[in-house]
Amino acid sequence: MNEWLIAATVLLLGLVPCGIVMMRGTIVEALVALQMAGVLETVTFLLLAEGYHRGPFFDLALALALLALAGGLVFARMLERWV
Amino acid sequence: MSASSIAVVILLVVGVAIELACCVGVLVMRDAHDKLHYIGPASILGPIAVAGAIVIRESLSQAGVKAIITAVLLIIANPVLTHATGRALYIRRRDQLEPEREVG
Repeated sequence: MNEWLIAATVLLLGLVPCGIVMMRGTIVEALVALQMAGVLETVTFLLLAEGYHRGPFFDLALALALLALAGGLVFARMLERWV
Repeated sequence: MSASSIAVVILLVVGVAIELACCVGVLVMRDAHDKLHYIGPASILGPIAVAGAIVIRESLSQAGVKAIITAVLLIIANPVLTHATGRALYIRRRDQLEPEREVG
């Protein structure tokens, strides 16, 4: 286990507070926690890709960063109008 | 242990610490507006530190360039998402986007 995988494992602990906010907070607070979780997962994918020396894994991080932006915008638009 | 390895470890520790601190901030702050502030450092400083560590290790290879692009994408996406979320919260609280006018 190299330093990249250790950092990725430690970073995953950050999903716990995000999950708590998602379950216990208001719906807008849950959206904020979801955005934070998206950033965490993107950075975790970067660390895993480097840790396993797999070049294609970097594409996962790139795709997740793009999709998290799109998803966050859709959720924000939905929350301001309908929910 | 070479200087580049030490720099990589330092950047990784700094990046992970920033991300975890921001997660704790999202957990303990009372209001959604307060929580929103903690996405900024997590989306800017953390990815810069991690991408910097990857570039030090891999130089500007395919992996290094993809890490830089991902970090730039997160940096660009953060203000857009924060603005959209803040706007949604504002509209939900006031039922309108325009500021309230004073009567009289």
